[in-house]
Amino acid sequence: MAEIVIENAVKKFGHFFAVNNVSLTIQDQEFMVLLGPSGCGKTTLLRAIAGLGMLDSGRIMIGGRDVTYMPPRERNLAMVFQSYAIFPHMTVYDNVAFGLKMRKADPAETDRRVKQAAELLHIEQMLDRHPSRMSGGQRQRVAVARAIAVQSEVLLMDEPLSNLDALLRLEMRAELKRLLVELKVTTIYVTHDQIEAMSMGDRIAVMRDGVIQQVDKPNTVYDTPSDRFVGGFIGNPPMNFIDGQVQIKNGAVKVQIGEFTIHPPEVIASVLKAFDGQQVVIGIRAENIETFTTPTEGAMKVQVLVVEPLGSQNLLTIKINESMLKVATHPDFPATADHDIWLRFPIDKVRWINRESQKALV
Amino acid sequence: MKRKKRNWTPYILLAPSLIYLAVFFAWPMVRSLSLAFYKDDAQLSLRAEASFTSPVVGAIPQAATVTILDTQGNHLETAVDSGTITEVWYRISSSGADGAAAEGWILSDRVRVDEESGGVPTLGRIRAVRRSGADPQSSVYVQPGSSHGEVAARLDAQTEVNILELVTLEVWYQVSGTDREGQTIEGWAQSAFITRGEQDPSSGFIKKGDTGEWTLDFIRAMVADRFFMSALTTTLLLTVITIPIQFVVALVMALVIQARLKGNTLFLYLFAIPLGVSELAVGIVFYLLFTESGYINSFLMGLGLIDQSITFISIQTRHWIIIAIVLAEVWRATSIVMVILVSGLQAVPTELLEAAELYGAGLWQRVRHVILPLLKPSIQVALILRTILALQVFAVVMAISGGDIVTTLSRETYRWYSEEIRNPNMAAAYAGLIMLISIFTAIFYLRAVRTQEEAAIT
Amino acid sequence: MTAEIKLTNAGVASAEMQAMRRRALRRLRINRGITYAIAISLAVWIILPIYLIGSMALTTPAGVRGFPKAIFPFTDISLDTMSFFLQSQGILRGIVNSIVVALITLVLSTLIAAPAGYAISRYVFRGRDFYRLAILGVRAFPVIVLAVPLAVLFMRMGLFDKTYSVALMHTALTLPTTVLVIGSVFASIPYELEEAATVHGATALQAFRRVVVPLALPGIAAAAIFTFVMSWNEVFAASILTLENRTLPAQVLNALNKSSPEYQFAGGFFMLIPSLIFIFFIRRYLFNMWGQVTK
Repeated sequence: MAEIVIENAVKKFGHFFAVNNVSLTIQDQEFMVLLGPSGCGKTTLLRAIAGLGMLDSGRIMIGGRDVTYMPPRERNLAMVFQSYAIFPHMTVYDNVAFGLKMRKADPAETDRRVKQAAELLHIEQMLDRHPSRMSGGQRQRVAVARAIAVQSEVLLMDEPLSNLDALLRLEMRAELKRLLVELKVTTIYVTHDQIEAMSMGDRIAVMRDGVIQQVDKPNTVYDTPSDRFVGGFIGNPPMNFIDGQVQIKNGAVKVQIGEFTIHPPEVIASVLKAFDGQQVVIGIRAENIETFTTPTEGAMKVQVLVVEPLGSQNLLTIKINESMLKVATHPDFPATADHDIWLRFPIDKVRWINRESQKALV
Repeated sequence: MKRKKRNWTPYILLAPSLIYLAVFFAWPMVRSLSLAFYKDDAQLSLRAEASFTSPVVGAIPQAATVTILDTQGNHLETAVDSGTITEVWYRISSSGADGAAAEGWILSDRVRVDEESGGVPTLGRIRAVRRSGADPQSSVYVQPGSSHGEVAARLDAQTEVNILELVTLEVWYQVSGTDREGQTIEGWAQSAFITRGEQDPSSGFIKKGDTGEWTLDFIRAMVADRFFMSALTTTLLLTVITIPIQFVVALVMALVIQARLKGNTLFLYLFAIPLGVSELAVGIVFYLLFTESGYINSFLMGLGLIDQSITFISIQTRHWIIIAIVLAEVWRATSIVMVILVSGLQAVPTELLEAAELYGAGLWQRVRHVILPLLKPSIQVALILRTILALQVFAVVMAISGGDIVTTLSRETYRWYSEEIRNPNMAAAYAGLIMLISIFTAIFYLRAVRTQEEAAIT
Repeated sequence: MTAEIKLTNAGVASAEMQAMRRRALRRLRINRGITYAIAISLAVWIILPIYLIGSMALTTPAGVRGFPKAIFPFTDISLDTMSFFLQSQGILRGIVNSIVVALITLVLSTLIAAPAGYAISRYVFRGRDFYRLAILGVRAFPVIVLAVPLAVLFMRMGLFDKTYSVALMHTALTLPTTVLVIGSVFASIPYELEEAATVHGATALQAFRRVVVPLALPGIAAAAIFTFVMSWNEVFAASILTLENRTLPAQVLNALNKSSPEYQFAGGFFMLIPSLIFIFFIRRYLFNMWGQVTK
């Protein structure tokens, strides 16, 4: 059992709160992704878990042990570093065996585990080589092999794929996922790449300015972001946000986008009652917007500014009021710049966001 | 990015430094070797007639005894630079050994000139006689050019003399002696090369030659010198003791710096201070600690551990002097090792050390398995540099022991060149020995501390 | 939800957990404390000798001769010892000579080393590695070997016992270090900056003067100061090459056996002072000097 519990973690650099009162529980054998833009504190949090930077307050427990003040080597975890941190003066074998040798493991057992890890990462041919002449991808494999050879229950990964080129990243992503499913270790994976996060994580914790904004399954985070930031950060293109005005007429709640009117569902409508006459933000994903070439019931007429064919889809840029809107359409959809089309927002796909707090209205 | 074009600019830019180093490094180095191995005055050529134009009939090695058969010449010139090798005689005045004023003529070789005016010597000092069993005093004669003539006075070495006038004599002796092959030869040579016996004017010995030859004489003389073994062993002992201590202390310093404590920059500055401190000053400081009325004695007395000063610096307590020198050297030269190690450590990515820590390496394991191997190139440079500098330890030794109780190779170099001896050949022999040991240790380190990557690639 | 459940679980095992936490925290503090203790004792090891000679040099001559000496604080602060030293025969002259020698060395060494440093950091040319290696070799070369033949040469050329002949020797000694340091200073200035200047209309010389020189100047100044310190401290060559025109260390060395403790301690302290100040000014560059050497 290696459940990781982080309670009220705070880490300051001077007056800057890198990690600001974060609490998070990662379940045993779960693959948790810490996602966020650079400088959001995700690496700082990971390093605090590893013991490479002491928390200013709060505590960290791994498998029921309070490790807050323990040095890294006593926390019994493995880590893959962003720069791989492969020892240049050791052979691949010695690198992979390092953790085991430091823990004074039985030599035969060490050998067995090194070979096993090497096999899993397909580096068994390179065990005698020095890393100085290996490619980035190969070093990456050595780093992962070293991490899994110690068979610790917790594996930390700090942007492990960020130094690889695009193609290799794609390949390693799939391979890492397969491997980690097999190994069943508790994994915390730090990345700023939302595709990596979406594709690999059991759950994603989105961080911003030292605070965790949302923790949930990838699809949940994608479909129902907890706030405007998360919606804007996850997904390519990011979620669209349009300002609308709440109007209550005869007890019926309507949201007015320019001349166009949306009728929110019952749940939302009851919340929106408090916002009469105020602005509310409507969030909707590009692929969820329905498009028509002819006037359609409940659709608004808009003018296409730009058409970007992306192969699997076409991305249209549309201006509504002062907001720019991205709309994904089937490649066959006949839209051209400067021509009118009609859009409709499926009401169940719309995310309603408080304009003041930027939080989603449940 | 470096400029990739190949042109003459870099060579022009390098030229001044190359020329300078050729003149002030390469040349002295070669010259130093020739001083140590080449004896300018190994043999004296004998000529058929008493003239430089006459043919050479043979040569007699320096220091050989000869029989003086005849004397010729003796014509006087007043100029110093007459173009031929001659005897120069000074008329001097001084107070003699008994305090009475002395005046007379003395051979210029016996006087070390201290002051000149317009190229003419005015003030000097009687040279010490170095030959064992020699007359410690020098004779002053009534007439110039007559080493066997009437003695006017006897002067001690180091007596100050006024040089009143000088004459240049060209005197030739006909001598008979044995050459290197054992054959007896006869011929003429200038008196300047031959010392005539004081008791027996018909015998003499070859003071110096006029023909050079390669020789191991200086090396032999060095090895036979009474200070040689002591200087060599002390130098090596100091090196062997000092360097490991310096490396351990420097590594601890580097690790402390690496720990990034509060006040890190202050610690760094403090640790680096000795880098700029004069070797002589450090020697004096540690002399102050160890001297009889010094701080260590004061401290021990203050604690009531001793009633009387301990004498650390004396012939009987050489080990204390060695300890004082080692401490002074550790104080002084650890900084340079520290700076080299810290800059080496800065080049080591922190993630490597973190990875080691994370995978279970304790402090010692990190040092042993990660830090030291990665610092190998830095350690190599520091080792070579420190060893070569340690072999030259000089001012510290001079300051602490006065340079006589404990002596080192560099101290011997200094002894043979300066003071009253001024023997550049012997000095060069000692210097050459230091160079030889330096080169060997450098090669040894380069081979021994070879990095594993190098071994793997080659 | 889960986090809250865990919180209560933690509460159950709290006594044991608290103890563990306290132990870990204590160990952490002890480790930190040990590191500080080591750092401070090393700092004391460095400072103490300087403090002791300082307290000797800045007390009365009677204090210098007194025994047992008080370690703390200064017995009597007085400039008598220092002024006695400064008024001793040959000292003022020695100081002047030392400064002259060090300044000539500084100027010569910097002038010769700067172009060479620029060349090795900016150009790729045949023999570059050899040059660097040779410079390194020369850097580690025994000074002593050079002093004697140069003294013989200077004597023959009538340059013996002149301040500038000592400076010539010192330049040879400091040149390799200066070349390497200045090389690393130039290497730390990206060549792109020069290229950018050229692209924006500067000639190569202008780019050098307007961009490289201002950036390199502090580093070169540091190298020059280090050169000064090396020359100021050098004693062996200076003693061999001079008789009357001694530099300060040579003068003190020569008088060592015949001098009083006041003279020695004041002399030691006086020689030590400039280096304290200079090293302070160039401390930032010390690593520049050595980082490069190992590569």
